[in-house]
Amino acid sequence: MIRSQKFWVAVALLVIIGSAVWSYLTLRFWDSGSTVNIISDGKVLYTIDLSKEPDREITVEYEGRKNIITIKSGRIRVTYADCPDHYCISQGWGEEGSLLPIICLPNRLVIEPADSQLDGVAR
Amino acid sequence: MFKRLAVCAAAAMMLCSCGSSEKHQGSVFAMDTYMSLTAYGSSAEEGIKKASEKLNELDKLWSATESGSEIFAVNSSEGKPVSVSDETASLISFAKEMSSQTGGAFDITVYPIVEAWGFTTGEHSVPSEERLNELLEVVGSDKITVSGSEITLPTGSKLDLGAVAKGRAGDICADLMKECGVTSAVLDLGGNIRTLGTKPDGSKWKIGLRDPFSEGIYATLDVGETNIVTSGAYERFFEQDGKTYHHIIDPNTGRPAESGIASATVIGSDGRLCDALSTSLFVLGAKGAEQLYRSRHDFDYILVTDSGEVIMSEGVSGLITFEPGFGEKVSVVK
Repeated sequence: MIRSQKFWVAVALLVIIGSAVWSYLTLRFWDSGSTVNIISDGKVLYTIDLSKEPDREITVEYEGRKNIITIKSGRIRVTYADCPDHYCISQGWGEEGSLLPIICLPNRLVIEPADSQLDGVAR
Repeated sequence: MFKRLAVCAAAAMMLCSCGSSEKHQGSVFAMDTYMSLTAYGSSAEEGIKKASEKLNELDKLWSATESGSEIFAVNSSEGKPVSVSDETASLISFAKEMSSQTGGAFDITVYPIVEAWGFTTGEHSVPSEERLNELLEVVGSDKITVSGSEITLPTGSKLDLGAVAKGRAGDICADLMKECGVTSAVLDLGGNIRTLGTKPDGSKWKIGLRDPFSEGIYATLDVGETNIVTSGAYERFFEQDGKTYHHIIDPNTGRPAESGIASATVIGSDGRLCDALSTSLFVLGAKGAEQLYRSRHDFDYILVTDSGEVIMSEGVSGLITFEPGFGEKVSVVK
C-alpha cells in the first residue's frame, strides 16, 4: 500500500470511529434525558430542562410545610425540608440522566425524570 | 378509487389508534411510598381513579402504624383473636406459608426488630445483643394462628405486611383496571413494577433495573404483562461507628442480612410471590436463591452481588439488555 492510500485509510477509520463515538454519546444523552417534573401532591408544578436551567432555588409548600429545591450546574436536589426524616435531603443531587425520583413523602413532593425512555424503574 | 378509499381508511385507523392510546397518569401516596400509575386508552382515567381509591383503601387496611387498620388491631390484640377481611387473612396465610418455604428468610413478624433498629421512625441505632435476643423470642411465623378470617398473635409479636402488600396491591389494581377496560398500563408502586398488557402499539415495556451502586440503572428488561420487584440494601440504611446498616433484616439473626447480595430482583406473574421472594433471595444469598429457584421454577430472578457480579435464572436471558460496563461477569442458573 502506497503512503497516500495509507493516509486515506487512516482518515476513513478516524471518521468511522468518530461517528460511532458521537452516535453513542448522543444516544446515551437522549436515553438519559435532562428534563424533570417537580410534583406537589400529584400536581406538576414545574417542568424543567436541567441542561438549560440557570442556578436557582424553588420553594414548594404543602399544607404549611415547605421544601427548598436547589438547581445548580445541571443538577437538582432538596436542600431544606421541614419534614421529620429529611430523607429527601439525604437523597442528594439528582443529576442529568438520573432515572430515580427524589421523594419527600411527608410533604408529598416528588422530583422525577420527565423524558425517560423507560416505562419504569424497578428499585 | 380503491386506492383513495384505502388511504382514507388507513388515515381513519391512525386517528382512531391515536385517540385510543392516549397516555394518562395518576399518583398516590400510600403504603409509605410514592406510587405512579400510567395507563393508555379511553378507559385509562377511570382505571387510574379506581386503582388509586383501592390503593388508599388497602393502605388503611394493612398499615402497621395507623390505628384504624386491621394489622394495627392484630398487633394490639394482646393474644385475643381478631376478625379481619378475607383479603387480609389470605395475605397473612400466604406470608406464613412463604416463611416456611424459605426456611424463615422471609417473615412478617420481624417488625419488632425493624422497630428496634429505628427503621420505622428514622431514629436509627444498633440494638444490643441482649435486646436482639429478647426480640427474636417474639419473632417467627409459627406464632401466627389463622383460623378462617380470625388472626391470633401472642402479646409482644407484631405483623408488618410491607414485604408483600405492594405486590398484592399491584395485582388487585391491575385486575380492577382490566375490569374498566384498560389493556395497557404500568403501575409503579414505590419501585414495584406491575405491567398490564403491552404498550398500545403492541411492543414490550422497557423497565430499568436500578444499579445498586449508583443512581442509574444496570440493565433493562423488555417484558409483557408481569411483575418486577427489586429489594436492595440502598433503599434505607444508616451509618454508625463507620459501619453501614441496611433495613433488610435477616429474621434468623435479627441483624441486617449479610449474604453478599446488593440487589435481588424477582420477575413473575404473582405480585405477592415476587414481593416476598425479592426479600427472601436477598436474605438467602446466591446459593439459597439457586436452591429455591430449582425447587419451584415459578419465578425468574436476577441478583447483583456486592462485587458487581450478576447471577440470573435462564428465563431472564432473552429479556435483559445490560448497560455499558455491566454484564461482563454474568452467570445463568438453569
